[in-house]
Amino acid sequence: MLGFELSEPATLDEAFDLLADGDPGVRPMGGGTALMLMMKAQIFKPERLVSLRNVGGCFDGLRIDADQSHIRIGGMTTFAEIERSPMVLQHLPAVVRTMKTLANIRVRHVASVGGNLAHADPHLDLPPVWMAHAASIRIVSKSGERVIPVEDLFAGYYETTLGDGELIGEVIVPVRPEWTSTYVKVTTRSAHDWPALGIAVSANLQGQRVNDLRLVLSAALDRPTRLDAAENELRGSDLSEAALKRAGEAAVAEADIHSDSRGSAAYKQHLLRVHLSRAMHSLAGA
Amino acid sequence: MVALMPVGNIGRSVPRLESRAKVMGQAEYTHHLRLPGMLYGKIFRSTLPHALIKSVDTSAAKAVEGVFRVVTIDDIRTVIPHPYYGPAFHDQPVLADGKVRFAGEPVAVVLASDPRVAEYAASLITAEYEELPAVLDEVEAATSDICVHDELKPAATFPDLQHLKGRRGTNVALDYRLVRGNVEEAFAAADHVFEHTFRCQQAMHTPMEPFVSIADVRDGRMTLHTASQGPSFVRIEMARLLGWPENRVRVKVPHLGGGFGGKLYIKLEALVTSLSLLVQRPVKISLTMEEQFFMVTKHACTFTIKSGVNNDGKVVARKCRILWNGGAYADIGPRVTQKAGFTSAGPYDIDNVEIESLAVYTNRPPAGALRGFGAPQAAWAYECHTDLIAEALNFDKIEFRRQNLLQEGRPQASGTPVHDAAFEKAMDQVADRLDWHKPFDRGNGRIRRGRGLAVGIKGITSPTTSVAIVNLYGDGSCGLYIGTVDMGQGSDTVMAQIVAEVLGLDAEAVHVIHPDTDVTPYDMGTLGSRSTFHMGTAVRLAAEDVLRKIDDLAKELGLPPNSNLPVSEMLRKKYGMQAGNIIGTGSFIPDYKKPDPETGQTPKATPFWGVGANGAEVEIDTETGEIKIVKLVSVVDAGVAINPRAVRQQVSGAAIMQMGFTMTENMVFRDGQLTNGSLADYKIPSLLDMPEQFVNEYVESRQHSGPFGAKGTGESSTIALSPAIGNAIADAIGVHLTDLPLTQESIFRAIQKKNGTPLPEDDND
Amino acid sequence: MTDARTIRFTLNGAPVSVSVMPHETLIEMLSLRLELKGARESCGQGLCGCCTVYVNGKSVSSCLYLAQLVDGAKVVTIEGINDGAELDPVQQAFIEVGAFQCGFCTPGFIMMARELLDVHPNPTEDEIRHYLIGNLCRCSAYPEIVEAVKLAARRRAAGTTPALAEELSA
Repeated sequence: MLGFELSEPATLDEAFDLLADGDPGVRPMGGGTALMLMMKAQIFKPERLVSLRNVGGCFDGLRIDADQSHIRIGGMTTFAEIERSPMVLQHLPAVVRTMKTLANIRVRHVASVGGNLAHADPHLDLPPVWMAHAASIRIVSKSGERVIPVEDLFAGYYETTLGDGELIGEVIVPVRPEWTSTYVKVTTRSAHDWPALGIAVSANLQGQRVNDLRLVLSAALDRPTRLDAAENELRGSDLSEAALKRAGEAAVAEADIHSDSRGSAAYKQHLLRVHLSRAMHSLAGA
Repeated sequence: MVALMPVGNIGRSVPRLESRAKVMGQAEYTHHLRLPGMLYGKIFRSTLPHALIKSVDTSAAKAVEGVFRVVTIDDIRTVIPHPYYGPAFHDQPVLADGKVRFAGEPVAVVLASDPRVAEYAASLITAEYEELPAVLDEVEAATSDICVHDELKPAATFPDLQHLKGRRGTNVALDYRLVRGNVEEAFAAADHVFEHTFRCQQAMHTPMEPFVSIADVRDGRMTLHTASQGPSFVRIEMARLLGWPENRVRVKVPHLGGGFGGKLYIKLEALVTSLSLLVQRPVKISLTMEEQFFMVTKHACTFTIKSGVNNDGKVVARKCRILWNGGAYADIGPRVTQKAGFTSAGPYDIDNVEIESLAVYTNRPPAGALRGFGAPQAAWAYECHTDLIAEALNFDKIEFRRQNLLQEGRPQASGTPVHDAAFEKAMDQVADRLDWHKPFDRGNGRIRRGRGLAVGIKGITSPTTSVAIVNLYGDGSCGLYIGTVDMGQGSDTVMAQIVAEVLGLDAEAVHVIHPDTDVTPYDMGTLGSRSTFHMGTAVRLAAEDVLRKIDDLAKELGLPPNSNLPVSEMLRKKYGMQAGNIIGTGSFIPDYKKPDPETGQTPKATPFWGVGANGAEVEIDTETGEIKIVKLVSVVDAGVAINPRAVRQQVSGAAIMQMGFTMTENMVFRDGQLTNGSLADYKIPSLLDMPEQFVNEYVESRQHSGPFGAKGTGESSTIALSPAIGNAIADAIGVHLTDLPLTQESIFRAIQKKNGTPLPEDDND
Repeated sequence: MTDARTIRFTLNGAPVSVSVMPHETLIEMLSLRLELKGARESCGQGLCGCCTVYVNGKSVSSCLYLAQLVDGAKVVTIEGINDGAELDPVQQAFIEVGAFQCGFCTPGFIMMARELLDVHPNPTEDEIRHYLIGNLCRCSAYPEIVEAVKLAARRRAAGTTPALAEELSA
């Protein structure tokens, strides 16, 4: 990581100009934690880094709409700000709980919500949680902006659908009082590790009955992925052992899980069945 | 100033002398040291495990602005004609010499004033190779036609390794044998015979201060500032490489940010020495955490153990065959092979024993010493084996052990009688802390619980020498000059306590001079739990020498007996002012008798015995294999604890480290390439891995030959910890795991296999 | 290669200006240009905590932080947490409990423990373990570290110096 330029534009327009040439060595930078790791490993050799910390606008701030319908989290909001926000704790408690085992507090002091999403590492904890919460992102660029569901951001292993010059301005999370959510970080090597599987579940339950749900699997796949078939097995049904078993089998069938250093494919498939079922039970119990 | 009242330094938990410096971040480590005009070296490493080097292209690196020089073995040879080193074999080239023998081996070095420039330039070097077939597994390597080295050249430096022979056409560096009685006859006569094979994985020390060395050639002398556990050996070996007398080489070691056996013998020292000689400027190389995995590791091994047992519970015969995966360079592997070999039948009194322990070269990163010198790998086999036998014959696991444990005065497998080794006491204390004799709920649902224990033995490297100097200055204050390296174990403090006890001082008032071979006398190395015993004795002798000299001075001055005149006053009387010194020296080497080369028998194999017993209580989620260590108990025999808190910390720290080697740590290779060489993927224990209940103790005992009854204890709790956990798992799930580490997946697979529903093997890895 | 830039910031309470390259990390600047020894790079991945410093009152891994980004900021290192004569209560507790062996990771643990006590003045065992999860000690002084944090919490709560605490408990 030698010989690059570090820019800190004060406005979004300046940032767009600095990012304009589409060179792969030119990248926007949020907290910079993931970029620094890639640079130190010489995986990424930058020409220019454009820090977004001073651009302001929708990138800053953490607020709830006046009608209480959506929470808007600026792209440069740090994890620590989210974790310590009473408003987030009230409306999105699963997000705050996820923080407890997410990297460490120093990373959470620095890492930004937008940078985290744009990194598109499938092992990250928050992206599947946003997906389970039916969150969207506001993507801004010189030519305007668009809003897409978080799940449409991921194109593959460390790949996003962001175009040149597009930045993640904010994350928009609907407030859904009738839903409960959880994230299960399944580690297999030691207590504190990257997950072998991340299972994010959000459900609208009535007793043991599942009115609606969103199931997301991360870490074991090339990108966080909705488990549609498994959702279909559970949507509208009771949380019976039979239904959960069917959902588990459906999840294993639809998820293309491969072996890696955290476990063999067969073992991770087994863990998916077990933890999916346990996650549903824990939501119903809570 | 000399305190007039003896203060009772032995058995006192004196806080580390350097405590304040450490909490303020001011303690000196080689890590920080910079010298004027210093160049930084960054290493270009091989990408193949076994290959001939056809060419190395350094042109792009040389073209980088700020690069001072790019160096390969051809350059090194211009200053050191035979650039090979090693404590057991002179087998390791300073940089790869025509051939690479593991993926990650240093091939070239870039020197620059800015370390980032050197790093960037090193990334531009390329090499062309002719790939050779690689041999990675120790069992395969023992008989393979693929030879890692064409010829093996013994170093003949240490007395315990002088029997090594030069060989060709083999990967076996050392074939250690021990024979006692006749195992085959005893097996034939035994009521039962059991045989099992166990495996241990390759692991790494990962000291928090990564390997770092600085060499500074000037005025015809070489000064090395190095994070080393063995400054005296570094001087001897560098003097040999340079062809210089020892007095032209100076080795200085400040505090070490952890060592654990990794920073022994020669690591970066030969490389920085060569580079500094070549460019005539100080050169520093600091490894990154990732690079450490290519420096030295803990041996993987395969151990087949066979025992003959009679119906009355007596073990009558045991045969051990261990293959140690030494990696590409022998380092101190032959000693590990030998030391762990001779105790590999366990702490048991067995009439017929046959041991074969082989150091085997493979195309992996070199393996050396790591906290226990192979004893933990051996104990993993013999203590799991002990439980398996007890279960098969329905013996009580404690009583079966008790019946066979070595008692005071009985000969160990080597023929060396056992003295001052509290195996039984330690085992009983572990059993007590586990409430072994109380009812235990193993559970019958998803969560199963189990408990296990194990007892370990370790021999100590012998014969080795320590020399100490105690210097009373003109005002009577005291300096202690020793080559023992304080790498966190607290040796500075313990040695100060020993001096203080003899001289009637406060330990806190003793100044310990850190290793500097221009100043501090010889010590064989800070390794293998030897310092408290060996250096402690030398320090005691040196302090006693001071007392004798004070007496002589008193006589010379015509003082009445027991005059109690302070030393400072005596020196003032002698010299007419505050001046002079009283210098005491002490030197210690224990009795040793070379083992018979055919049978390994000797009456003096070790100066003392390392003794540790461990216990574990575990909880397993049988649906996932997830394991929780509810309770971890370690009880060691430390003799008399000179600093009780330091002893407990050694016991506790070693236990957690060994828990890592048992549960999570594993260097994973694919096609000879290390795939998880960073702390992100190589998981060492963290605060969240700590057992819920964590008990660390020592038994009341005395090492009669040790200083104030003490013996070394830095490794004792590592020896039998893995089998204690393994046996606890077996107690919970009804099946024994044979291979370390004990991962969740391996536990789950064992459960499924036992239930007749085995999990499919890896298909798409 | 792009040029160095002069940045100005407050280091342990004193204003400094340093010329740094864009690629320099904060730990490189602190150790190579400012010759501070307390923060150390070990794992290089923000996992071990040896390089912990505070930037604008928050702990960061200085090995993953570009030096130029502290322009205008307040940076505090282990060298800046006491006045030189009196140790911080956390430092004092680490000595009394013996919460270190080799000492290499110790400044990082102390920096994190101080921050932990600001966030959780009376931390539970679980809060301690989780807050310090980004710090690794290969000597494994973990039990003593947890003890030291608890001791420092009690001291802070009582608002007492060690000497006074001894008097009170006597």
